[in-house]
Amino acid sequence: MNRRTLLGGLFAAASVPALAACSSGITSLDSSGGGSGGGSGSSAGGLTIGTANFSENQILGYLYAGVLGAAGIKTKVRPNLGSREIVVPALEGGDIDLLPEYQGSLLLYLDDKATDTEAGAMQNTLTTVLPGGLEVLPYAAAEDRDSFAVTKETAAKYGLTSLADLRKANGKLVLGAAAEMKKRVVGVVGLKDRYGVEFKEFKSLDSSGPLVKGALKKGDIDVANVFTTDVDVIENGWVVLTDPLNLIPSQHIVPLIASRKADAKVRKALATLGNVLTSEELTKLNRLVDKEKKDPDAVANTWLKSKKLA
Amino acid sequence: MTVDWSWIGDHTHDLTSLALSHLQAALLAVFFGLLISLPLAVVAHRVRALRGVFLGLSNVLFTIPSIAIFVLLLPVSGLTRTTTVIGLTVYTLVVLLRNTVEGLDSVPVKTKEAAKAMGTRPLRTLLTVELPLALPVIMAGVRIATVMSISLVSVATYIGDGGLGQLFTDGFQRNFPTPVIVGVVLTLLLALVADALLVAVQYVLTPWTRRRA
Amino acid sequence: MYELFKNLAKWLVSGDQWAGTDGIAHRIAEHLEYSLLATLIAAAIALPLGLLIGHTGKGAFLAINLSSFGRALPTVGLVVLVFLVSGLSLWSVYVALVVLAVPAIVTNTYAGMSAVDPEVKDAARGQGMRGHQVLFQVEIPLALPLIMTGLRLSLIQVVSTATIAAYVSFGGLGRYVFDGLAQRDLVQVLGGAALVAIVAVVLDLALAGLQRYLFLPHSRLRSSGRDPHRRTAAH
Repeated sequence: MNRRTLLGGLFAAASVPALAACSSGITSLDSSGGGSGGGSGSSAGGLTIGTANFSENQILGYLYAGVLGAAGIKTKVRPNLGSREIVVPALEGGDIDLLPEYQGSLLLYLDDKATDTEAGAMQNTLTTVLPGGLEVLPYAAAEDRDSFAVTKETAAKYGLTSLADLRKANGKLVLGAAAEMKKRVVGVVGLKDRYGVEFKEFKSLDSSGPLVKGALKKGDIDVANVFTTDVDVIENGWVVLTDPLNLIPSQHIVPLIASRKADAKVRKALATLGNVLTSEELTKLNRLVDKEKKDPDAVANTWLKSKKLA
Repeated sequence: MTVDWSWIGDHTHDLTSLALSHLQAALLAVFFGLLISLPLAVVAHRVRALRGVFLGLSNVLFTIPSIAIFVLLLPVSGLTRTTTVIGLTVYTLVVLLRNTVEGLDSVPVKTKEAAKAMGTRPLRTLLTVELPLALPVIMAGVRIATVMSISLVSVATYIGDGGLGQLFTDGFQRNFPTPVIVGVVLTLLLALVADALLVAVQYVLTPWTRRRA
Repeated sequence: MYELFKNLAKWLVSGDQWAGTDGIAHRIAEHLEYSLLATLIAAAIALPLGLLIGHTGKGAFLAINLSSFGRALPTVGLVVLVFLVSGLSLWSVYVALVVLAVPAIVTNTYAGMSAVDPEVKDAARGQGMRGHQVLFQVEIPLALPLIMTGLRLSLIQVVSTATIAAYVSFGGLGRYVFDGLAQRDLVQVLGGAALVAIVAVVLDLALAGLQRYLFLPHSRLRSSGRDPHRRTAAH
């Protein structure tokens, strides 16, 4: 891991001066947005937007591309690049410039001991733990929070409505989630420390993906880690357990960007999108892609037009 | 499991570009595989001691899971086509190296001696006598390596490349069989077409094998 | 690089890394279970097929094309396809691995059978051997080296590809590759890859040993098989 960060750092170090050098001459007029949070980058050379390998992230990538395009910035979307462990290093390495991210997941990725759960505080912490050359822009209204869901039958059988209720079934239930949840506070560790919940078994699957949802449907697991904007949760009538002790951190959508590209135009365009995009709207877009099998780019562009954003 | 035909109709453009990108990755891998294999095979053909070493090494490389190779290359070459091509090239070696060595071995000693007796220099003998005569066996290797690479490209989807393999993750994430079926079928088609083309190339390159038949 | 390999060595030899259900020993056992079972199923399908095609001489076209067809099938695609049909079960893994393993066994078995000198078979029949006797006492022993080559090739590929079981949530050594990536632990990825390679090489050497053991006694048979051939030639 050290080696990876070391090499990533080397790449970033090597590419930043080069790009800064080639852009500063052409666009000295463009970097007028000095007031907006130290933005000294330039988007004149265009941006490469990367997205992780699930539909919602791809929709977000195309939404970013749409609003940036409307602001006159050239973009290229590289969809389906893989998991966060693959895309964030690619951002550090300079293969991509902008990434739709989620506050909580990003923070835990950067610092797995982070304890913030409130959106504002997380935004501050993020700026301190982000590697040099990267920054997060203001977060969107939309949020796609991690949650733990059970089937209606399981909920009825053990009387489950909140995470605290899981204690009643200690040692009986199997939790399915992404591998990293096994060792995280938002996961096995926190559920035990905060809620006193102990599972019979932990199964390494994915986060709200085909594996964890397939396993919950089939009964291979009892509790599944799903996202709050996932339409399958509603379709299947799964019960999302409430989190009275605020264990689960805020997961507002946040643009993660290479500072060298973050000029005033980019900031403004993404902030406008962030204000209009709500969780409900995002869930609707997810439904179009996941259930009606529409293409993420088409769905994103139609929505932007309907909101007069593009 | 039904196929959504209208989805296919709506995506012919995307499918074509994915297929072309898929083919490009596979062909680049075979090209670089040959570039590496040819000199190594010439050495292995002459120096018996190195032969076992080279072939053994290519065999061991072949046993490493491709997904791991791609992931391990990420810190070096990032999320680029280079990563995909390096990974695939490693797997072509097992076939290309072996077949090139065997091809060179198959050239009759008498033919080489005749060339020598005629005063042909070793490099010239290699280029004008040995390699052409070894071509049928080398081409057999190229065909296998090409088909193998075409099937392997999709693994690189895990690192954001992968040509038609993109259709597999898409279908997997959205519980949507159509792209997956289309991806499998197009991969097979690419392999069959590439193989047929290589047969044609070999036919053109080795007229003497035709006459014999 | 040096640091990476030092950590790899540490990872491979550490005691607690080997124990438990997440431990290396258990993961190797799972990996062997997937690979060996898949290869066995493939052999149960492919051997009779290859022998039949080789013995009757019918369907040779199928045998040859099956191999290039099979090689072209993308394993990831098959796994996902079967997953979408059968849900979260080992079916997706086994179907993909068996499909991967069948072609090389069929083709090599057929190739071994077709390489048996027809005059040898004629002679065996001339000596009053029945069809099945010719098959089991003459053809199979002579074809054995190539049959074994097919099995070894398939097994290596299956062992290397069984990594994919972890992609659909199951175990085996692929867990280290996928979990290592998820936990950003390159040493674990490298460790998993190295273990897969070691398992593949060891299994291949074991089969090579078995082949030598099986093959040696029959090399006598091969030379005795040549005698009737000479006799017919003398006629």
